[in-house]
Amino acid sequence: MTSMIERPPEVTAPAAAEPRARWLPASAGQALVWFAVVALVVGPFFPLVYSSLRSKPIYLPGGTFTLAAYRTLFADPLFWRAVRNTVSFAVGTTVLAVACGTALAVLCGRTNMPGRKMYGRLLIAPILIPPLGLIVGWLAIYGQGGYLTQAVSRNLHLPVWNLSSIPGMSLLGAVITIPIVYLTVQAALAGTDSSLEDAARSAGAGPWRVITRVTLPMLRPAILNCTLLIFALCLEILGIPLFLGTPSNIDFYASYLYRSWSSGATPDPSFVSAGAVLLLMVVSGLLIIRARLSGSEQRFIASSALGGGTYRPLNLGRWRWPSCIALGTFIGVTSVIPLLGLVLMSCVKVLTTLEVPWHLFTAENWHLVATDPTLRRSIIDSLIIAGGGGAATVLLVAVATLIAHRSGFPLRRTLAPALIYPRAVPGVILGIGFFWTYLMFTPGALVRNNLWGELIALCVRNLTLAYVVIYPSLARINAELDRAARSSGAGWWTVARRILLPILRPALLAAFVLMFITLLGDYDPVVFLQKPGTEVLGVTMLQTWQRGIVGPVAALAVVQVAIVAIVLLLGARVLRRLRRA
Amino acid sequence: MPDIHVEHLSKSFSGTKVLDDISFTVKDKEFVTLLGPSGCGKTTTLMCIAGFQTPDEGLIACGDDTFVDRGARVDLAAERRNLGIVFQSFAIWPHMTVAQNVAFPLRVRKMSKRAITARVDEVLALVELGQQAGRYPHQLSGGQQQRVALGRAIAYSPAVLLLDQPFSNLDAKLRERARDWLKGLQHTLGLTTVFVTHDQDEALSMSDRILVMNAGRILREGSPEEVYRQPQARFVAEFLGQCNFLTGAVTAGPDGEAVLKTAEFGDGIAVPEHHAGPTGTIAVRPEDIEISQPDAPGSGPAGTVLDASYLGDHYQYRIAVGTVQLSVRSQRPLAQGPVRVRIPPGAATFVE
Repeated sequence: MTSMIERPPEVTAPAAAEPRARWLPASAGQALVWFAVVALVVGPFFPLVYSSLRSKPIYLPGGTFTLAAYRTLFADPLFWRAVRNTVSFAVGTTVLAVACGTALAVLCGRTNMPGRKMYGRLLIAPILIPPLGLIVGWLAIYGQGGYLTQAVSRNLHLPVWNLSSIPGMSLLGAVITIPIVYLTVQAALAGTDSSLEDAARSAGAGPWRVITRVTLPMLRPAILNCTLLIFALCLEILGIPLFLGTPSNIDFYASYLYRSWSSGATPDPSFVSAGAVLLLMVVSGLLIIRARLSGSEQRFIASSALGGGTYRPLNLGRWRWPSCIALGTFIGVTSVIPLLGLVLMSCVKVLTTLEVPWHLFTAENWHLVATDPTLRRSIIDSLIIAGGGGAATVLLVAVATLIAHRSGFPLRRTLAPALIYPRAVPGVILGIGFFWTYLMFTPGALVRNNLWGELIALCVRNLTLAYVVIYPSLARINAELDRAARSSGAGWWTVARRILLPILRPALLAAFVLMFITLLGDYDPVVFLQKPGTEVLGVTMLQTWQRGIVGPVAALAVVQVAIVAIVLLLGARVLRRLRRA
Repeated sequence: MPDIHVEHLSKSFSGTKVLDDISFTVKDKEFVTLLGPSGCGKTTTLMCIAGFQTPDEGLIACGDDTFVDRGARVDLAAERRNLGIVFQSFAIWPHMTVAQNVAFPLRVRKMSKRAITARVDEVLALVELGQQAGRYPHQLSGGQQQRVALGRAIAYSPAVLLLDQPFSNLDAKLRERARDWLKGLQHTLGLTTVFVTHDQDEALSMSDRILVMNAGRILREGSPEEVYRQPQARFVAEFLGQCNFLTGAVTAGPDGEAVLKTAEFGDGIAVPEHHAGPTGTIAVRPEDIEISQPDAPGSGPAGTVLDASYLGDHYQYRIAVGTVQLSVRSQRPLAQGPVRVRIPPGAATFVE
């Protein structure tokens, strides 16, 4: 049956070479880019759905259409436990993140708390820290064998928290997602007129009353928007249950799929595809509701509206300094200490309070990172993917964005949704989709067992980020600039190459930096694709950690954070120079 | 240089007709202005000629080249129409110097390096920007930016020059100078030009011919004098400066001219035009109404000056004659109170 699947027809190049440029219309190239984007984004879902409806894995001969995979899934008690865990985790995380993120945004955006500007910048930093680095750092400090956990239980003999419980994981989930709430609410605050608050104050309301009766109700749309987004993100989260949930045997939806996949009796069971299809429908549904509620354009304004107009801050009075200290402590506990813990863990034999750390110093973790072929290769591979894949993706997305918004290509309107969708899809699902795609289609076989396959999956998953950076910049370029070039005699591609892309240079660089950072830290889509010899950082860290080897994982995480920091600094410098020119 | 023919152009945006059967011809070396309020379809017409909008119906041809012919399914791409355009925003590419901006159309046409340099020098001298060749757009003043845009538009000697409200981004003082300069350049180079504006002064001072547009139609077409003196449509009269309108019965005068009688102007107002129908409306410009002392005999009906405003080179009065109010422009200072008002023969014209 599988061999009956039609191969895509061979594309034959036209024989006539010389006049080609003239009679081949610009739309031929546009169609090619359109096809590439749509095929990459939509392509993986067909094999995914198909394989969930087959009685046998697609690589085996025979098999019929059946719902057996879904029946198997629903009959598995572990599946239902994972669903329950995921929902409680998602509710806990969402409530915590939205409450804290909103409070922080109001504190930094509307009050006279000292240091609010600096805090504002520090609060969004976790977005840039590779998520696995933060998770490993948290484990090193607050995990069951963590440094501070030991200090509290063994040395102070106090009752201790359990990070590997659902509330514990929700706490970490909230820390990771707070920046999203902070950014959304902060953008909404910057966009609203503070004279509304002034009016309430001149009507005799105190600061607390102003915040609860005027500011927060005004923020309701923004809060609802990020509530849905974070809830959807929580449903697909993989790193937290794999790192934190494993010791206490707690599985979430994504980790259940991952574990069933990698430890199933038959390899690549089709009920995993069924689970992925279900999750895809739920998450897509949530995000469609969100788009209906907020208008999809709004999220593009969010990042550019930072640090908005002037306002008269609400006076916190005697709570000014206490709130400043509390916020500083929050940032220290959630970000700074775990990062320090990460560095410390990478330099010691074992992180324990029984012995002072400098007695346990060792270079062995770092030595291993430098010499072990797998670990070394994972760094190099990740750099190749982040650099090469990032650059290629930015270029493809830039051209696709131009086609979507600045061309007469007949199908241009389908491109913007296609560019947004991959990021809305849970990474693990995209990974399974790509796995089946590489298996089913002949061209896919070319990339199945090498780094290209992982590069494509990671880049497709994150190409939305490039679009989100490039599109607002393009929208600010007056359309008369391209018209002037057209009437000067330039065809569409010449306009793109000589006028629009050069003007977009700063945005392209910003998009590349963001892509680089994300590609370096992302791992969800490739956990199903990684093979020996094609390791990337995230998955290698995951697998090494699961074998109980923690020191080198911490060292890898430190490498990851260091590369991100360097790229950010360099990118910011080049960007400043570009903008000045 | 060729003529431009526009025939039966129609276009709708989501059910609203923006162009309704537009037809006109721009002759070789002629300067034709599309004049009208915003939303009247003038820019849409220009963009149809340039190739950035496609009409639903109609034909546009330039010399022997058919740009658009909906009937024959011809729609030439904008880049193959060989037109020069100056946009409202000037649309100068910010990442290129003045010289690179002007050179772009030449480079696209694959001219040799040496020919490009020579032509760019020539064009920059023509638009008086020889000194600014190496500058970037943000280092230029508004007037200089406009001249870069113009230089770029004429760099490859296009058949036709299209101007989309090119003065609206300049301040008032500069606008007048730029207007004279551009008209001079157009005349010297003999460019066939289509100019879009909503400013009547620009239209009157620069054009060989004006097409007044409203709601997607051409209401009046003619030389600046014709359009101003005989607007024919009430909208045209109002759009080109101030106007008074009087409606009454029309009779034939002794010399074959028409005479309009109203309750206020019982003696009748002579209009040297043929008019069919028993009633009619005339338009009279404020500066064409004569005012005299109340005791001057035989000088029209009595009126009352309601108020006056001083505008430097003239006075603007509001004068009540019976139940109608007329606006009148005069060099003479008048006190509030009674006057006599006269509309001399030939001052009025019939409008629809």
